[in-house]
Amino acid sequence: MKKMLKVFLMLPIICLSGCWSSIELNELAIVTAMGIDKTEDGYLVTVQVLNSSELAGDARSGRTEVVTFRKSGKTIFEALRSLSTDVPRRLYVAHLREVVFGEEMAREGIAKPLDFLSRQKELRSDFYMTVAKGSTAYDTLNVQTALEKIPANKVFDSLENSERRWAPTRTVTLDELVSSIVSKGRQAMLTGIYVYGDPESGSNVTNAQNISPKSGLRLDYLGVFKKDKLVGWLNRNDSKGVSYITDHVKSTPVNIPCEGDQITVNTTSSKTKIKGKMEKGNPKIDINVTSEGSIGEVECTIDLTKPEKIKELNERYAKDIKGKIEGSIKTLQEKYQSDIFGFGDEIHRTNPRAWKRLEGNWEQEFANLDVNVTVKAKIRNLGTISESFQKEIEE
Amino acid sequence: MKNKKQQEYLNQSGNPNSSKSKNQNQNPVQAQNQSKDSKKHQTKLISSDLQFNLDHIKKTLGNSSDIVTRDFQAGKNGQIKLGIVYTDGLTDSISIQDLILDTLMVEIRNSDLDVAVLNPSDCFEMIKSHTLPIGGIEEITDYQKLFNHVLSGDTMLLMDGSPKGIALGSRDWVDRGVQEPSSQTVVRGPKDGFTETLRTNTALIRRRIKDPNLWLETKQIGERTQTDVAIMYLKGVANDKTVSELQSRLNRINIDAILESGYIEELIQDEVYTPFPTVYNTERPDAVAAAILEGRIAILVDGTPFVLIVPALMVHFFQSSEDYYQRADIATLIRVLRYLSFFLALLTPSLYVAVSTFHQEMLPTPLLISLASQREGVPFPAFVEAMIMEVVFEILREAGVRMPRAIGSSISIVGALVIGQAAVEAGFVSATMVIIVSLTAICSFVFPANSMAMAFRMLRFLFMILAATFGLYGIILGLIVMVLHLNSLRSFGLPYLAPNAPFILQDQKDNIIRLPHWSLLKRPRLISKNDTDRGDVSSPKPPR
Repeated sequence: MKKMLKVFLMLPIICLSGCWSSIELNELAIVTAMGIDKTEDGYLVTVQVLNSSELAGDARSGRTEVVTFRKSGKTIFEALRSLSTDVPRRLYVAHLREVVFGEEMAREGIAKPLDFLSRQKELRSDFYMTVAKGSTAYDTLNVQTALEKIPANKVFDSLENSERRWAPTRTVTLDELVSSIVSKGRQAMLTGIYVYGDPESGSNVTNAQNISPKSGLRLDYLGVFKKDKLVGWLNRNDSKGVSYITDHVKSTPVNIPCEGDQITVNTTSSKTKIKGKMEKGNPKIDINVTSEGSIGEVECTIDLTKPEKIKELNERYAKDIKGKIEGSIKTLQEKYQSDIFGFGDEIHRTNPRAWKRLEGNWEQEFANLDVNVTVKAKIRNLGTISESFQKEIEE
Repeated sequence: MKNKKQQEYLNQSGNPNSSKSKNQNQNPVQAQNQSKDSKKHQTKLISSDLQFNLDHIKKTLGNSSDIVTRDFQAGKNGQIKLGIVYTDGLTDSISIQDLILDTLMVEIRNSDLDVAVLNPSDCFEMIKSHTLPIGGIEEITDYQKLFNHVLSGDTMLLMDGSPKGIALGSRDWVDRGVQEPSSQTVVRGPKDGFTETLRTNTALIRRRIKDPNLWLETKQIGERTQTDVAIMYLKGVANDKTVSELQSRLNRINIDAILESGYIEELIQDEVYTPFPTVYNTERPDAVAAAILEGRIAILVDGTPFVLIVPALMVHFFQSSEDYYQRADIATLIRVLRYLSFFLALLTPSLYVAVSTFHQEMLPTPLLISLASQREGVPFPAFVEAMIMEVVFEILREAGVRMPRAIGSSISIVGALVIGQAAVEAGFVSATMVIIVSLTAICSFVFPANSMAMAFRMLRFLFMILAATFGLYGIILGLIVMVLHLNSLRSFGLPYLAPNAPFILQDQKDNIIRLPHWSLLKRPRLISKNDTDRGDVSSPKPPR
């Protein structure tokens, strides 16, 4: 009797766990990418579903590796559910790799779709958000990519790779995006992607079968948001400047002019420290960048063995970085008045009382913000050869 | 006259199992046992009439053809009537011929012993103390002991006019010979294994521990089989409480047959309702010797090469004797590997089922893709698929054990078809499942102790069911329940999970890691409570 009671008392532990949803792998349609576009009275949702039997195993039939479905609805959720008329399996969004907003959608504001993305318990929020530059999201999900069979993975990996080695792009996860949209002292930014080449042939399975694909997906630079609306795009240098300020530069090539030619320095490490302070009631930002690099390419006849030459190069190297940083600050202050650097948050951290006073009018304050940039840059090594043989050729 | 005497002897009865009444634990079960005992044994004393004795022996044994009775006359004038009884095949015939018959029939004649003047009892004493060039002898007065000795291979010497017999140790039966143990093999280490003969087995242990404190106590268990069961321990090192507890448990056994040490194991273990073994069994003398030196007790049963060791804690089942022969660092690495594979053997199929039907979001995307592509076209749910494969594997394994050697090779061919590429190509199961079953199989072969491997094989299915019903939540629940259960287990009073729970710092030296021998200076604390010092060696250092 006592035992029965014990078992009876244990039943709720098991039954009330809420882990009842078992579903077999072959009943799932794994969504790797989702595109969200604006329609007149709602959204056009595009999903890229994996055709898993084409991706692995030996039962390939020559169909495409991913299939794109789209459907419009008043809300995203509704659109996704109504997709079941088209997709034979349950859409499974836990493995999203990227979410693309059409540019139109982004300019109109992305806060509402973000609610859906944040609300789903299935979503893992380790995917990256992008904006389709100058096109709809559907177009960017309609391209076969070379090397990487799954276009969403291609975008995902490109984002990570270019952030690590190129710097003017940025991987933004859902959490980062939402917190920067919500925050008063920081604005959001997303990397743009666009389709190059002929979009018509891009969706064909043969696209990736050419040595040089007729079309493909490429990353652009950063798009600047104000609250939840896209306000414009940065160019390459400004994007790089933004990365420097927000301490996201892991490695990037820096070109230094030299006798009319170029020397390219590969940044090996870069550290940015931002300090906010109040001076006479005005906010001030100090940016300290410490960058180190090694020489990657020399096209002029400079003698690298002389320390003074290196010193000179160091100065020019620092100047280049400083130029990019100041340029990007200028662009954002004058053109967009959007604080994507998070200077406001910095002020908030260092002087909360002053921030209370400033936050209501931060856009204006940011536009007039005094920013002081100091860059220390150092070339650490010269690569495997010290002196360039350009000299010998010219002699 | 004779008849009267016989009647007397026939009516006399005593309780030979007086040892049983020594047990002071008067629980109801025991009381029942005792009443049973007194009913069973209406034992008779040996009569002083030789012919009657021999006839009685023959009659009792149903004139079995392997019982040899021989009566002869000894002494100068043949006045002494003697008879010997032995079981052909269990005895060393040479010693019977040379030592017993030759002595009594031929050599006594040449001696100038004046036996004529002796009365039968003196004569008996004389024969006992002067004329038997044989090691083990014992005076016997009742029939039960007589039969016991005869059927164990001793030779019984009876004398007319004396109500006593002498049991002469002449046991010698065909032994398999010491071979390499088949159940627990090592790369480095002794390769001798126990045999079916108790005496050989005790000798194998004695050879390893030449300590006068190594005590051997033998008793016979089993009404009909009268199996010799011996316990061996180091007096002063083994915990006395454990020893006396073991003795009392053995004494309480009342069963008519003991054919293997498994019988004893089931009868003396602490907890009945558990898949986990609380008694260790091994074929390896070195493992037994090491256990005895730790302060544990070995139980040897005649007729089986498997020797039991108590108390057995969980860690013992994951330790191989080779761990102590390899270098300490390598042994540690192998132990870690073993623990890893024990988790794999238990959880791999259930984790696969749980993750692929409940928690697809836990998998890295590329892995999910490859799993999903393999699941395309598999007609079963993952759980059913896993169940089928595991069951087939278990059948295969069982078949491999039961098969006659002659057709043994075909099992591997068939097995490879059933759980291999062919099954995958038929679209019956996914390739992943084949890998998982194979991995599980390999991991379950890693267990140094088969009894523990069996427990895990059983639990694996339980965990699979849990995984299919509740996903990872179920697996975690199952693990929690399993750990609780393990904590509740005792082996001869010792907590089963020691030295992990309760945590004993000193014993961690030889738990998951094994430190070199020069740092293992203490015996396991809970096992041997008396003498825990192993010695005082410091690590060897070269002379400066």
